[in-house]
Amino acid sequence: MAIIEAQSIHRRFGEGDLVAHILKGINIKIEPGEFVAIMGKSGAGKSTLMYQLSVLDTPSEGSVIIDDVDVASLEEHERTSFRLRTLGYIFQNYALVPDLSARENVMLPLLMKNLSWQEAKQVAGTAIDSVGLQGKYENLPAELSGGEQQRVAIARAIAGKPKIIFADEPTANLDSVSGKQVIDLLTELHRSHQHTIVMVTHEREYATNCTRIVDMEDGRIVSDVPN
Amino acid sequence: MSALRIGLLLGWRQIQRANIWTTSLIIFVMMLTFLNLIVVSGVLVGLIAGAERAVKAESLGDIVISELDGEDRILETEALVRAIETYDEIQNYSVRYQGSAILEANYKERRNLAAERDIANATVTGIDPAQEDAMSGLSDNLIAGEYLNPDEEGYILIGYYYLEENAEQFGDIFDTLSNIAPGVPVRLTAGDVSKEFIVKGIVQSKVDEVSLNTYIPEREFRRLFGRLNPDADQIVIRVAKPEQDSTVQRGLIASGFADYAKIQLYEEAKPKFITDIKNTMNLLGTFIGSIGIVVASITIFIIIFINAISRRQQIGILKGIGIERRAIEIAYVIQAAFYALLGSALGALLTYGFLIGFFERNPIKFPFSDGILVAPPEETFIRFVVLFVITLVAGFVPAWLIVKQNTLNSILGRK
Repeated sequence: MAIIEAQSIHRRFGEGDLVAHILKGINIKIEPGEFVAIMGKSGAGKSTLMYQLSVLDTPSEGSVIIDDVDVASLEEHERTSFRLRTLGYIFQNYALVPDLSARENVMLPLLMKNLSWQEAKQVAGTAIDSVGLQGKYENLPAELSGGEQQRVAIARAIAGKPKIIFADEPTANLDSVSGKQVIDLLTELHRSHQHTIVMVTHEREYATNCTRIVDMEDGRIVSDVPN
Repeated sequence: MSALRIGLLLGWRQIQRANIWTTSLIIFVMMLTFLNLIVVSGVLVGLIAGAERAVKAESLGDIVISELDGEDRILETEALVRAIETYDEIQNYSVRYQGSAILEANYKERRNLAAERDIANATVTGIDPAQEDAMSGLSDNLIAGEYLNPDEEGYILIGYYYLEENAEQFGDIFDTLSNIAPGVPVRLTAGDVSKEFIVKGIVQSKVDEVSLNTYIPEREFRRLFGRLNPDADQIVIRVAKPEQDSTVQRGLIASGFADYAKIQLYEEAKPKFITDIKNTMNLLGTFIGSIGIVVASITIFIIIFINAISRRQQIGILKGIGIERRAIEIAYVIQAAFYALLGSALGALLTYGFLIGFFERNPIKFPFSDGILVAPPEETFIRFVVLFVITLVAGFVPAWLIVKQNTLNSILGRK
């Protein structure tokens, strides 16, 4: 039973003669526990596809069913709630709140899930430990390196135990060493916890540990093979 | 509940991490807004309150007894005075006789009988000098000469407004006399009776009833005006403690004196125009203060808007990871609330800790009043609530405008 099932997804931007057709009828199924890399050149539509699959955007046509829920039919507040309960996100620019400490950043979705302050603090601490940032709980994002910030973002993504983790070019803003550390961390998460991970990347070397590689070109999937 | 917790966390941390000078400036603006709202109307009302306070202190006291409608005098004055003297609550009182007379000066130097006489239509008040001084502190208002001696006859106190040299500053609206000074003879004519008095002193007060008056001893007044009956025109009473006024009023009414005179508390007896002017000033102050509120709300709006728009991507990401819109909006409302609360608290501290006392010690000198700052706590609280609510709205609206934008567009920085 697929955890993500997208059928005939089209995504267009603009109107009339200026319409840009970015996704052209994508069909994809992702099974639980898969580590999928979506690859392609710039402009291939890989990020746009990820936004459809991760309920951050709504396709112009087609349907996306995640964990048996037709997400296209959800209201805005239901989509927010669905993302909180089901999905975890890692953005390329780390996306941490600059005013909050590393631990408070990780605590945010946990508090939103109604965990008590103490519970959230404990779970966040464990998540931060698991990404190798012991002792940096109180550091502000500005006091962390890019790689460390991205690891805090990963801790935030996994702390709530989501069913699927989406990573949008998580190494894009990192040097090669930090980038490799982040990929290793994601690989370890997948291996040890069997998380379902969907990662967009344009660097093939970072996809070597994925269980499946989806190649895109001009808004279409041109290759979808196990790795 | 979870949205509130996150809103509090985000809002408070933003305040904590914000630039201290920027935060101080915003709080300073809010404090000025609060002061504008409270102090401007407080000073305007205070001008009238100062005048009112002076009228109470120097003229009318706490209880005013006057003739009944349709009567010329207070009936049974002697009995009433005897009753007044039985009250321990009464600190002082003064029995006044009032009439109009022609006050004439420089008549001895007048050689040409065809020339215009130096006269003024004057209000004459007959008093027991000691009683009146104890009641209204009339001797404190002397600016020249001496106060009336209870044992002397033939002396008069003249109000400042009757002096010609003061006419210009009041637009020449009063009848005035020239060359008036202590020791100068003047003549009072009431009907067919005239009597010469020596000016003993000049009294000046911001209370018109004092400055536009002349005072002579009660027995001379009654002779001049032919008032053989001791019934007076006005009795004013000062009680020992302010809250005792209604006790005395009720007591006198219960003793049946309401059949002989109108027995009113100061609040009931004071001229209605004072209340009207006070209300007008209050309205004017509120209007001016409202402009301040509009300016402050626009300031808060701009501050929160700039703050939120510069964090648009962050807001998008927060929504992306499942944080409810409400939580993010609350974070900005919390900031607005913080600015309003702290600014108002500082404003209140300044108002009640310094300004009220300052104006009490250094009243604003106006021709008709020594202006003080009036800021009743209950009115201040209402104005604070108005300021607070408007600030919250001014904080909420820009946050709402930014937070409602499409999540992905916010994350990607797209329009």
